[in-house]
Amino acid sequence: MDWFDYVLLGVQAVFQGPVAFELAGFAIPISVLMVLSGFLLGILVGSTPGLAGPMAMAISLPILISVFGYHESALLPVFGFLIGVMKGATVGGAVPAILFNTPGTPDAYMTTLDGYPLAQRGEANKALRVAHISSASGDTFSDIVLILCAPFLAIIVERYLDLPEKTALLLLSMAFIASVIGRSAGKGLISVGLGLLAAYVGTGEDFSPRLTFGSEALAQGFSVASAILGVLIVGEVFKSMEDMRRDGISSVNARVKNSERRRGLSVGLLRSISPYIARSALIGTAIGALPGVGSTLAATLGYTTGKGRHAKLHPQKAQFGDGIPEGIAATEAANSSVSGANLIPVLSLGIPGNASAVFLILAADSIGGFNPGPSVFRFNADTVNPELVVAFGLFTMMMLANLLNWTIGGRVMRAMGIMTRVPKHYLLPVILLLTLTAIYIQETRLVAVWFTIGFGVLGYLMRRIDMSPLPFVIAFILGGRLEETARQAFSATGSDPWFLFSSATCIVFMGLTVLILLLSARSRRS
Amino acid sequence: MKKVIRSLQAAACAIALVTNVSYAAQWQPPGPIKLMIAFAAGGGADTQARLIAEEIEASSGWKFIPENVTGKGGLNLLKAMKGQPNDGSVIGIMVTESLAYNRLVAGDSGLELSDFTPLTTTAGFQMGLVAKTESGYKTFDDVVAASSGGEKLRFGAMSPKLADLAYLLGKAHDIEFNIVSLKGGKAVMNALNAGDVDLGWGAGIQGKAVKAGEMVNLVSGLSKPLDLSPDAPLLKDLGVEYNADGYFLFAAPGGMSDDVRNALADALSSVAANPESKAGGLIQKAFGGAAIFKGAELDQMLAADSEAAASLLKAAAE
Repeated sequence: MDWFDYVLLGVQAVFQGPVAFELAGFAIPISVLMVLSGFLLGILVGSTPGLAGPMAMAISLPILISVFGYHESALLPVFGFLIGVMKGATVGGAVPAILFNTPGTPDAYMTTLDGYPLAQRGEANKALRVAHISSASGDTFSDIVLILCAPFLAIIVERYLDLPEKTALLLLSMAFIASVIGRSAGKGLISVGLGLLAAYVGTGEDFSPRLTFGSEALAQGFSVASAILGVLIVGEVFKSMEDMRRDGISSVNARVKNSERRRGLSVGLLRSISPYIARSALIGTAIGALPGVGSTLAATLGYTTGKGRHAKLHPQKAQFGDGIPEGIAATEAANSSVSGANLIPVLSLGIPGNASAVFLILAADSIGGFNPGPSVFRFNADTVNPELVVAFGLFTMMMLANLLNWTIGGRVMRAMGIMTRVPKHYLLPVILLLTLTAIYIQETRLVAVWFTIGFGVLGYLMRRIDMSPLPFVIAFILGGRLEETARQAFSATGSDPWFLFSSATCIVFMGLTVLILLLSARSRRS
Repeated sequence: MKKVIRSLQAAACAIALVTNVSYAAQWQPPGPIKLMIAFAAGGGADTQARLIAEEIEASSGWKFIPENVTGKGGLNLLKAMKGQPNDGSVIGIMVTESLAYNRLVAGDSGLELSDFTPLTTTAGFQMGLVAKTESGYKTFDDVVAASSGGEKLRFGAMSPKLADLAYLLGKAHDIEFNIVSLKGGKAVMNALNAGDVDLGWGAGIQGKAVKAGEMVNLVSGLSKPLDLSPDAPLLKDLGVEYNADGYFLFAAPGGMSDDVRNALADALSSVAANPESKAGGLIQKAFGGAAIFKGAELDQMLAADSEAAASLLKAAAE
């Protein structure tokens, strides 16, 4: 069995697997059907403000498993559906960001900066087309890299990063986020601090919960969903309500000009955005391959790099943030190209880099028969390695989802623009209701809804004082991991208090951390 | 068509009634049963609980409302469950370690064994001390040899009890392990694969890798040999008088009447023990088959576990 036989077996496993039904004489394999339904659900979920891919994956996983059972044959259909949702939500996530200024996921936040101004100018269709083409290109590129590099890249990265280095890398990414986003590094750091504070409520190693003031409700800590959706979505809803109260209700928030509706993107525009797509796809893929650093950092890096480049090349033209297609392209290509590369550490080491990957691992764990880890990529010469067949089946389904994305993705995505016709004063309560319902479905405890509203108030206050909520969100997501890795690094080095400076790589990471903060503080002052 | 559906419904009811007679003839829950789950949603343990509930719903018409109450090794669940009605309307799933070691180590938790009524266990853990085959360790003696050769070894453990056992195991052989606490068995496997730790505890999750020859069970953490590696020495043989015997456990608030307790325990255990059921199939696959203890036998086991945990805590503090 050489590698080509495995590729063939993987493709066969998808297309010649169990049949769902026959359509005009053609047998439709169940895996293909699952990819398609997952993809459509993903776009719908991604483009509905208040919902996000991981949430849909979380809700559908138990249902899928109870439908398909625990046999190895369940692996491909379940993976297919989850991958469909992941990809659909990635491309759909740009819709609410562009049309309503409410990012469905933290990594779509940067898309709002240029997408929403464009939509307000009546160019929503153009913005959506740019988002789709950038997202689909980034995604496809990343999948190709995944398929080519999966076995080698992650193992090399992992070999050079021990626990202390991972801790230092997390610190570096937080410092970077704090200083890059928003107008002031000080506010960014405060935002990071608040995120860490919220992440540390009720958590930790000790059996008596910390920072809870004896409250049982706080003892479980805040869930990721309530903190993130609260700050990002509910906070935005509160702010918009205040804006509406001040400015009066206007029924138009984003117009799609009729003349604009059918028009594709001009060659000139494609030419001008393609360098940004290419650069961001590279950045996103590189970041995705690092275990544990997710798509939000990629989006931020892609956007800032693009922004710097644009300011240098075209200082006289409109800049990032004024509502230009390049800004959308830079963000969407970066955050979409994370998803494929993110599976490099997942498949070769079993370590997830983002929430979607977590659910793929959970599915593999629950069904069995596929153990993400180095054993997946063992090319047995004499016997068939069934896990490698599943891996190639997975790659086949990813490419299939990409094909769907290129062909029908843009159309479905723009069809979601129908929601622009809903006046904002009807839409906001719906978003609020959907968000709170989704939280309750996920948490099944009412106090989580109160937490979400509380975080919504925090998000509103942050917006009022011009403090970016994004560092808060990233710090909240990485906070638990930071503490865990730091504790582990400390005990693994035999309780060495200087573990953050124990190797050359660590020292470089820590040096960069300090340097970034100092530089951003200085440049802002001048 | 309507007729067909109606007759199907009638048949389903009849079947449900017949199967019910075995364990639930005398008792019906007062309403929907709140099922608290001490594990994160979507994992194997959570799925096990939900599938068991689903199957009882289908066969007996009882209604379950699952709720994940995670964190602090099951103590969050125990605190939330303490004082709730003991009429069968609230039950929870955790591990036996939650009621024994974790309850004691928290000290000020205010939780007593009598605050809870244990119902039944469903499956046990195949706890082994695991290393990667490529590390070159074939037996625990190799580990001792490497350590006396000056190598600093990292030892991954997913609970404080297992960290204590790792410490005592090292102490018995003059090794000071750098004990790294990790969240869950999957994290230990990841850390082993990534080379972040040299050794680690696996509660059964290592089975596939051991079968494939990628990992080895160096020591059985149990009071008996491991199914997969019967030759691996027991902790007892290596000078540690404690063990990591543990099970998934359904429990309810304390002071429950025997009728209710038996009805619930029978319903839960009969699904778990049936390998034909979805839940039983999962248990077979993920945890190596059902292990059922209930009634007086379970009470004795938990009391003994608590005693052993108290003395383990003392031994590890010395």
